[in-house]
Amino acid sequence: MAKDSRPDETGKPGSERMIGTGGGDEDLERRRLRLEATLAERRPASRDGKDAQNPSSKNSFGNAIKLSSEFVAAIVVGVGIGWVLDYWAGTKPWGLIVFLFLGFAAGVLNVMRSAGMVAEHGSQPPFGKDGSS
Amino acid sequence: MDVEAAKAIGAGIACLGMGGAGMGLGAIFGNYLAGALRNPSAADGQFGRLIFGFAVTEALGIFSLLIALLLLFT
Amino acid sequence: MSNDPIHQFQISKLIPIEIGGVDLSFTNSSAFMAAAAIAAGAFLFFGSANRALVPTRLQSMAEMSYEFVANMLRDAAGSHGMRFFPFVFSLFMFVLFGNLFGLFPYFFTITSHIIVTFALAMLVIGTVVIYGFAKHGLRFLKLFVPSGVPGLLVPLVVLIEVISFLSRPVSLSVRLFANMLAGHITLKVFAGFVTSLAAFGAVGVAGAVLPLAMTVALTALEFLVAFLQAYVFAVLTCMYLNDALHPSH
Repeated sequence: MAKDSRPDETGKPGSERMIGTGGGDEDLERRRLRLEATLAERRPASRDGKDAQNPSSKNSFGNAIKLSSEFVAAIVVGVGIGWVLDYWAGTKPWGLIVFLFLGFAAGVLNVMRSAGMVAEHGSQPPFGKDGSS
Repeated sequence: MDVEAAKAIGAGIACLGMGGAGMGLGAIFGNYLAGALRNPSAADGQFGRLIFGFAVTEALGIFSLLIALLLLFT
Repeated sequence: MSNDPIHQFQISKLIPIEIGGVDLSFTNSSAFMAAAAIAAGAFLFFGSANRALVPTRLQSMAEMSYEFVANMLRDAAGSHGMRFFPFVFSLFMFVLFGNLFGLFPYFFTITSHIIVTFALAMLVIGTVVIYGFAKHGLRFLKLFVPSGVPGLLVPLVVLIEVISFLSRPVSLSVRLFANMLAGHITLKVFAGFVTSLAAFGAVGVAGAVLPLAMTVALTALEFLVAFLQAYVFAVLTCMYLNDALHPSH
């Protein structure tokens, strides 16, 4: 690649200087055209490959980390609230049970929200079913 | 056997249920991915059903987590 | 060198200080926090010092990080959000430098302690809550009531939304902490394999090549994770700040 691109850089001033001598000019022109064709052939492929792969793999890796931790965090917070409520109010198992399910619903909501399924704080997501199940 | 020890063992056994939920989730996401690779244009439209299946399956796993937590913390 | 993979996270007091029964010692954690802040400041100061039209490498890196965070914030929170730019940018640079400093051998990773990441997350959520109430008053609570919910479901939905809101600092801090902790323990365990295999003589040294290669690969992965976690932290900060700016939309 580097070997190919060197004639192109020197080709422009070279063709201006060698304007009288027909053969060398034509030869250079042909080589430049060929180089351009090969470059055009090669460049989009390599760049597209890099562009398509790099951000998407980076983003999906980030997304996977984000989604799983958000789901777990909501459940942990739900259980924590339920346990503390039980501890203070003395309603022994029920706070934990109710808030675990609420935390689960919040986790699903978190996942759907960060997956772009639900508008940020807009329309009603279909989690009513989960909450009552 | 001590009651505390029996509780801890019971909590551990209850967590086996989470494994079942894990298998179910694997089946759901695997099949979704297989379907999405066959027909990528239809994949986005089915994402809601994927999440619904995920929620319903995971709810059963949450039941066993609930049993484990109840055994440990009450 | 011991094979204890937890040893690297121990906090030691460098300068013991105690004021009124509260332990305020200057520890190795505080030393590396100060180092991360100073390094980030020095990077940006020297990067923007000579303001060349054709940037040098350092200047171009400083400009890139600036543009990166500015675009992120503008995309997530709109042009109103730019008043939070200093906050988000310093948070991003601090987390990034803290993560990257942890990758040097024998250095302390500040973000591998949950109290540090939790304090950062609480700073973010505290900013969101205080700014939201100051700007919108009680209308900020509309964040928890999605529009178009049938009347009977409102209490349930509000409860779920509150739990969802409370889970944010937890997920924000636990994610960063768990990734850095797990990555460094994995690195240390594989590095420990190298030394313990090499003790078995020539065969062991030949076999130690495998965990060594794994360590190199893991270090590369850790560089990716260090950057990615700082990025995710900053992106989520932007999204939460967006809630404070526009609570009901």
